[in-house]
Amino acid sequence: MEALADNLALGFATAFSPQNLAFCFIGCLVGTLIGVLPGVGPIATIAMLLPLTFQFEPTSALIMLAGIYYGAQYGGSTTAILVNIPGEATAVVTALDGHQLARQGRAGIALGLAAIASFCAGTVATVVIAALGEPLTRLALLFGPAEYFALMVLGLAFAVVLARGSILKAVAMILAGLLLAAVGTDLETGEERLTLGLDALSDGIDFAVLAMGLFGFAEVLRNLETPEARSVVRAKIGRLLPGRAELRQALGPMLRGTGLGSLLGILPGNGAVLGPFASYSVEKKIAKDPTRFGQGAIEGVAGPEAANNAGAQTAFIPLLTLGIPPNAVMALMVGAMTIHGIIPGPQVMTKSPELFWGMIASMWIGNLMLLVINLPLVGLWVKLLKVPYRLMFPAILIFCCIGIYSINNSASDVLLTAFFGLVGYALIKFGFEPAPLLLGFVLGRLLEEKLRQALILSRGDLMTFVERPVSAGLLLVAVVILAVAVLPSVRAGREKAFQD
Amino acid sequence: MRPIPQDIGAGLFLLALAGLALWLGSDLAGGRLNQIGAGMFPRVVAIAIGLCGLALVIGGLRKGGIALERWQWRGPLFILGAAVAFGFAVRPLGLAVAGPLVIMLGAYASRETRWLETLVFGVVMTAFCIGLFRFALNLPIPVAPWPIGY
Repeated sequence: MEALADNLALGFATAFSPQNLAFCFIGCLVGTLIGVLPGVGPIATIAMLLPLTFQFEPTSALIMLAGIYYGAQYGGSTTAILVNIPGEATAVVTALDGHQLARQGRAGIALGLAAIASFCAGTVATVVIAALGEPLTRLALLFGPAEYFALMVLGLAFAVVLARGSILKAVAMILAGLLLAAVGTDLETGEERLTLGLDALSDGIDFAVLAMGLFGFAEVLRNLETPEARSVVRAKIGRLLPGRAELRQALGPMLRGTGLGSLLGILPGNGAVLGPFASYSVEKKIAKDPTRFGQGAIEGVAGPEAANNAGAQTAFIPLLTLGIPPNAVMALMVGAMTIHGIIPGPQVMTKSPELFWGMIASMWIGNLMLLVINLPLVGLWVKLLKVPYRLMFPAILIFCCIGIYSINNSASDVLLTAFFGLVGYALIKFGFEPAPLLLGFVLGRLLEEKLRQALILSRGDLMTFVERPVSAGLLLVAVVILAVAVLPSVRAGREKAFQD
Repeated sequence: MRPIPQDIGAGLFLLALAGLALWLGSDLAGGRLNQIGAGMFPRVVAIAIGLCGLALVIGGLRKGGIALERWQWRGPLFILGAAVAFGFAVRPLGLAVAGPLVIMLGAYASRETRWLETLVFGVVMTAFCIGLFRFALNLPIPVAPWPIGY
């Protein structure tokens, strides 16, 4: 316990330097600014803003990046409440009641509560990360290649179950991601694989390139096709700070949401997206009058927002302790860390404690800043949301191009991104979800590496995965959840859950 | 002509992807389980993708399902074309040219575009981006190498 306090003290000392505070502030501000744009989710936002952090030393850069991440998350909620266009899956739930509140002239309350709930959840989640970080890191050191492999398989199985729509298509997308990850020079033999002889591909496909193509460009294309139905709330924003009665109403949902979100966020395979849905249905179930939900219930904003933010934050746990990114956003973080010469994993905490704890502390500070930045700036966001899409998409386009070019100073990356934009458009038309593909891509290289290592150690015996107890347990869970998801009755329930 | 079910299109897409991967990886050594070669992982994954594709096609032929949506070419052509133009223009001509170019070309993707407005917007955005990325953030992106070599 004392060690925990010491570590947190070190973290706060690092994060509270004026320079790092400034970085955190700028990160939150621009993250929100881009994240507010409708149709731009956190993945595209972070990919676009990555180059902003290149010039700084690693700790500051990561602190800024964390700020961008929270800003992007919060920006998405703001759009969901004010325009009813959720930037990503997790904001869908916020849009349900948040937008209704906004139409009743209580947008301010919804935004204020979202910020307060996010902050509370962030505070708890920061403590959870700090407390779990060390034991999990020790656990990670016990993991051999077989266990790592099994854990990643479990993560991918979760991603399949959590994807919307057809399970078969989700499996296909994961596999496509694994295949794309194999492109480039094979680390063990040095042979070039599937590169078509192109120089640009010999180092493999850059994650930001793929993500920007599939999420940035393809989203713009989709938005252009569906005629614009943006109705920025015309009603008054109203006062921002909730009164005592409203706070009391929101307190329970906030705490429950935080608990649910923190727990689900730790799961590999993007468990964080479940948080808001779970919180919403829990609140609806225990409410005295469930019919209020969907008509502007305060609980329906506070709970899911808390769950969302808690999950967004505890998703760092698998990344920082095991080095396994649980979702696409975290994968971008890996990319950013590698650019700064940090390989995420258990060694970060021991090798550079300042960076590790500084980042954790700055998560909390970032949440505090969001509260401070967003409440006075709501008016600005509303104005920004009124910019017509015909001007917004060229702006998104030029930011994407400059962002991609700057990551490696490579013009061919821009061309490759355009290609993946076309692929992303095709995927949308064929009814595929791009998110599982990204996760498969992220884990692909590590998965193959660990598979090969495990098989070398076992001299080619596949039984090694079931003979080692931890690996067998993880694989068993993966098989069970996949089997359960295929059962017809659960399938119907899953479809219903996503429709709610 | 009857509309084609989405699943058939999706399945064919996967089959094509699997075929391409198998063909490109055909010269890579597979190796044995105790020393996996460069080719085994991609090959196994490609075969699995092919099986998914086959299952989708068969399912689509038997049950039909949602029809394949119409593809529109205007959006992809101009948005992605603009990005490609940016890629080719940024090194030799710099951001000062590539910026307005990407915005003007991209704007063709929408029918609602107003040209004068877009031109002004493109110039302003480019100036803003040059200020932000080149000067404030000091990223090595060429601004206008042809007249001033910068």
